[in-house]
Amino acid sequence: MEKKQITEIIAAILVLLATVGVIGAALLYDEHLWGGLRTIELTAQAPERGNWNIQEIHLVRGEPVRIKIRNIDTVSHGFAIPELGISLNGTGEIKPGNVGVIEFTPEKTGDFLFTCTTWCSTQHMQMTGRIIISEK
Amino acid sequence: MKIDKLIIGIIILALLVGLPLILAQPEEPKEKTIIINAKQFSYTPDTVEVNRGDRVTIRLISTDVHHGLYIDGYEVSTDARPGQDGSLTFVANNTGKFVMRCSVTCGPFHPYMIGYLKVKPDYRLFGSIWLAVGIFICSILLVSRRQKQ
Amino acid sequence: MTEKILGLIPVDWRFELTSLPYVRKIIKSRWMPFLPIVLNLSVFTVILMAGFVGGVSAGNYNFGIMFVWIVWWLLLMMVMVPFFSRVWCMICPLPAFGEWLQRLGFMKVRNKLFGLNKKWPKALKNMWLVNFLFLGTTYTTGFLTTRPIATFILLMSIIIGSIVLMAVFEKRNFCKYIGCPVGGFLGLYSNIAVTEIRAKDPQICKDHKHKDCVIGNEKGHACPWMILPFDIGRNTYCGMCLECFKTCPYDNMAINLRPPATDLLVDKNRGLDEAWKAFIMLGIAIFFFLIMQGNMGFLKDWANATTTEGYLTFVALHSIFNLLLIPGVFFVFVYASRTLGNKEIPLKKLFTNFSYTLVPMGLIAWIAFSFGILFPNSSYVLHVISDPFAWGWDLFGTSHFPWTPFLTGVMPYFQIGTLLFGLVLSLDIGFKISKQTFQKRDQAVRGFIPIAAFLTVVTIFLIWLFTG
Ligand code: SF4
Ligand code: SF4
Ligand SMILES: [Cu+2]
Ligand SMILES: [Cu+2]
Repeated sequence: MEKKQITEIIAAILVLLATVGVIGAALLYDEHLWGGLRTIELTAQAPERGNWNIQEIHLVRGEPVRIKIRNIDTVSHGFAIPELGISLNGTGEIKPGNVGVIEFTPEKTGDFLFTCTTWCSTQHMQMTGRIIISEK
Repeated sequence: MKIDKLIIGIIILALLVGLPLILAQPEEPKEKTIIINAKQFSYTPDTVEVNRGDRVTIRLISTDVHHGLYIDGYEVSTDARPGQDGSLTFVANNTGKFVMRCSVTCGPFHPYMIGYLKVKPDYRLFGSIWLAVGIFICSILLVSRRQKQ
Repeated sequence: MTEKILGLIPVDWRFELTSLPYVRKIIKSRWMPFLPIVLNLSVFTVILMAGFVGGVSAGNYNFGIMFVWIVWWLLLMMVMVPFFSRVWCMICPLPAFGEWLQRLGFMKVRNKLFGLNKKWPKALKNMWLVNFLFLGTTYTTGFLTTRPIATFILLMSIIIGSIVLMAVFEKRNFCKYIGCPVGGFLGLYSNIAVTEIRAKDPQICKDHKHKDCVIGNEKGHACPWMILPFDIGRNTYCGMCLECFKTCPYDNMAINLRPPATDLLVDKNRGLDEAWKAFIMLGIAIFFFLIMQGNMGFLKDWANATTTEGYLTFVALHSIFNLLLIPGVFFVFVYASRTLGNKEIPLKKLFTNFSYTLVPMGLIAWIAFSFGILFPNSSYVLHVISDPFAWGWDLFGTSHFPWTPFLTGVMPYFQIGTLLFGLVLSLDIGFKISKQTFQKRDQAVRGFIPIAAFLTVVTIFLIWLFTG
């Protein structure tokens, strides 16, 4: 092959890497980061903008789980399951564009409330959902 | 012609130099408490004016979501939720305009939620206007003087 | 006696950067600027992806918003334009797809470009279209800088628009005359830059009858920006693509270091389109300040389109202020200048020529404005580089770095300092333009006074607005 064609092919590969490659790498890295444990992805938005994307979470007693709370809103939110004594570390707040992660193993069965812990809107009190933990 | 210009220049400069003395009537430092209402995306009042040396307490009241208040230069901050006021106190020793900005992300326009703290007398503003006018006068003198050479 | 910029550096002082070892070699390689474009493209892929997945969430924690409106914008205004002219256009990935399509390849030289290769209509060979395009873009600034998806849409439309338009119109007409909102001011403000691309020895160009830089050869393309590399004159329309370095058989092109703002003294191709660009840019700096760093809540509600009437009021005020009010006030001072100087000089000529004094003033206003973003808000960047898509990553361990304003106490002094420097520079340029326009020295002095007064008033206004 001519030298010119080889450079052309190298250039094409670089362009592919810069576009599709970057996207692919991002997806792979994300997969690698959160793989393994069962992960439930919650997105948090104030009630008037859509509330929690999942209103009911079903878990099994004794099976470890990770709850990943992505705040895709424009104000801070929080997350807690008061009856199980589960809440976020630190300030208990997830800023917009940030992600909070909680990993735990449910030990009780029953029907519990999960809720936002930050005064995020006038309808903040409605920003709740249910966690239902059942036997295997 | 040139002499007149010089004289005018000197008069203006003298006036300008004199002005800060007029501006700077010292006032007794006071205790001041100011209530600021925060709502998306502004503060009411949007400008707080105090005098140098005042001991200022700001009470921050939020009427919608969680807001904050950070004061540039003084680097103090507080935050407030509806029903849960914030407060901060400082002694206004630095003069000039300082931006008060929201420090808690409160919505799309959060970075633009801004108020002003003005601590008088504002020597900085005065000094820089004086400099600008000085540059103007100098430039005129300079270009007319070169003419002679 | 040659003139000196700020009384210090002679206007014709040059230092040839391409005379340094290896620099010319790098610049003559076809990997340049291909590699920086591709590198930049990968950053833009992240920006676009972040803008897309970010949706309508908070802009201050979004990679796309932060990189475009803080990192890129500040770099552009504070570093690239004043120091390196249109270097952004050298590495800009947005029109790259269109250009690769025209060349049907990435690195190879193809002198017959693919596409319809239409010529650009002569009547539109000016800045008017981009003036309105940029003004139009700023109507949406409240969204562009706060909603990730808006930035995504803007960038995507530039990319798609460039592919379509570059398939129709030849070469870089897209960048030059229509497609890029920022292209216009990059051109005008680059006149201030302390670097330039110029031919070294005009005699060599004169003797070289077969102008390879204009028609292209097997080493490189004909100037994609359709200017004459041997007679560039001003930085305005040189996109720094480096093709002429490759095509010139005599190595007669050079990148020079030079004193600032010398292009503003070039009395060639000046026009009202560029005058209005200068007005609009100054006006937008003022409006952006009011929206982003001002204390008027109602204006923010207007720009945020909380109510339709509010938004329309904002659009109307913004347009009138930029298109009519600033030129109107400026006109009064120009009129005074003519009355004092010489009533025989055509008003239009005076108006156009003196409007170039607003170029340094405008760029400096933007730099001062940018300090007000740099110190309080650049700490957000640390968060977004660690977690660009808000997926809970922590690439560099800084994803929990809190918002930390710094140096906010001395920020006003930076702003005042730059504004005063801008005043000195524009006064200097102002008097040189005055001499050029009035010809006679005493007329030039008298005619200069109102313009100097205008520039001083603008500076004082900006100092008061930003820091008082
Ligand atoms: S004119 Fe605009 S689109 Fe074209 S290269 Fe320059 S910045 Fe990029
Ligand atoms: S003169 Fe033309 S070919 Fe040379 S760098 Fe500028 S735009 Fe490119
Ligand atoms: Cu909430
Ligand atoms: Cu706020």
